[in-house]
Amino acid sequence: MQPTSSMKEEFLQKWQMGLQIYRPLIDNTSVSERRKAIKLSADVAMASLRRGTTCWSRALIQKTATEDNFLVRQMLSGIKAETLINKKLPKVMCHRKIVRRSKKILRRRKSRSAIEEVAAKARKLVKKKTQGLRNVVPGGEFMSNDVLLIQETLDYIVSLQTQVNVMRSIVDAAEAGSERTAYYLGKPKFAIEDG
Amino acid sequence: MDLTGEFEARSYGGGATREATRLESLHLGDEFRQLALPPENAGGFTALLELPPTQAVNLLRFTDSPSSSSQAAAVTGIAPPPPHSYGTLTFPSNSVLMDRAARFSTEHHQNGNVSGTSSVPSNSSVKTEPAETDSSQAVNNRSGKRKDSDKKAKSWTKKNKSSEENENLPYVHVRARRGQATDSHSLAERARREKINARMKLLQELVPGCDKIQGTALVLDEIINHVQSLQRQVEMLSIRLASVNPRIDFNLDTILASENGSLMDGSFNGTAMQVVWPHQVTETEQSYHHRQLQQPQQWPFDGLNQRAWGKEEDQDHGQ
Repeated sequence: MQPTSSMKEEFLQKWQMGLQIYRPLIDNTSVSERRKAIKLSADVAMASLRRGTTCWSRALIQKTATEDNFLVRQMLSGIKAETLINKKLPKVMCHRKIVRRSKKILRRRKSRSAIEEVAAKARKLVKKKTQGLRNVVPGGEFMSNDVLLIQETLDYIVSLQTQVNVMRSIVDAAEAGSERTAYYLGKPKFAIEDG
Repeated sequence: MDLTGEFEARSYGGGATREATRLESLHLGDEFRQLALPPENAGGFTALLELPPTQAVNLLRFTDSPSSSSQAAAVTGIAPPPPHSYGTLTFPSNSVLMDRAARFSTEHHQNGNVSGTSSVPSNSSVKTEPAETDSSQAVNNRSGKRKDSDKKAKSWTKKNKSSEENENLPYVHVRARRGQATDSHSLAERARREKINARMKLLQELVPGCDKIQGTALVLDEIINHVQSLQRQVEMLSIRLASVNPRIDFNLDTILASENGSLMDGSFNGTAMQVVWPHQVTETEQSYHHRQLQQPQQWPFDGLNQRAWGKEEDQDHGQ
């Protein structure tokens, strides 16, 4: 599933909506503040595209809610905002540690054979990788099974792709625009960037 | 088990040309008893056989022998063949999976499975046409206990017979393949593994450069790297965007805005005009797209410039 143009448009609209909220602060903020605002609104826009159906989108919204509650509330209209922000994510992490420890204890009795050892090592490697994947995908810690994890990863990758495409075209256009300004106004380019 | 006895008789009578080995999983009455006590498997479908064994067996019989389809329908109230509704709950990636499943299942069924004839049309119709389902009420009533992940996941088993898979259905009929263990746990695990493998294949197609790689661990590595690189790209892009100097009184913006306003559709026009910070961003975005489509830019639009600027201010104040 590749990003569609309707997804791109919707993302752009939502992102614009989020950026508007920051509009009053435009002049007296530093680059880092602006970057943070851009990124947060882009993330929430991307997550809201899924309307709470996917785990990663909910986790992402909750994460940005901890940084900027107001933005999230404004961007998500309706009941969704309240439920998403206030809901606590299920804590599966602690269970897994206990399970792992008990498995270690049980494992000591198991008989070893060459093939089994190789297979066991492969399985361990895969488990490590899935844990790494959980760390990368937002909300991955709370996905209880692998099937869900992979589904979420698929969706997350597609959404990230749209986000990157839209953002890149905007940035290119904006930078080209500022270059052209420099040209038309007859100023050398480096003098303009005093931000 | 009189249950198994009667079942065997009927099925052998009905599907004489079918391979006997395919029945391994079917004539295990105790298997059904086991499955009927649902262990809550993560992602497993064994959680789901909450129907009493008789009904389950009847459903199986229905899918196996076309002759008994009418009987089974009468018994369980299923309208043959039952297509099912996906509704809007379908996980986005599942639609791709469903197409593949349809393709695969039809291919497999063409390999001389007689009983498949009844289930092939139902299968493909089930998997490719989202339509209203009419599966048994008993089944639907028990669907409340299912986990969300199971609701969203489709049963995707090759050589399958069951046309009951449904987001409301609590269970999936899996047939054991030749020479494979047939107890409930391995069946569940196998179905789960197949689900995971199917989705991993999708991921491999999505991430560039993953098709050549053999082995789950390396593929996962690639996926992780890809996700991380995408996230880093987002960071870089947001930094670049933030460092672009925002210009408020910028003629070109409004020129482009007006031009795009006239060319793009109305909904977009509104948002384009509502200038955003940094607002040359939005308008140059559309101009950028348009530049890609129609090359020559038209610069001297001073008259439009004034009007566009006025429009902007109105909408800004109106905000």
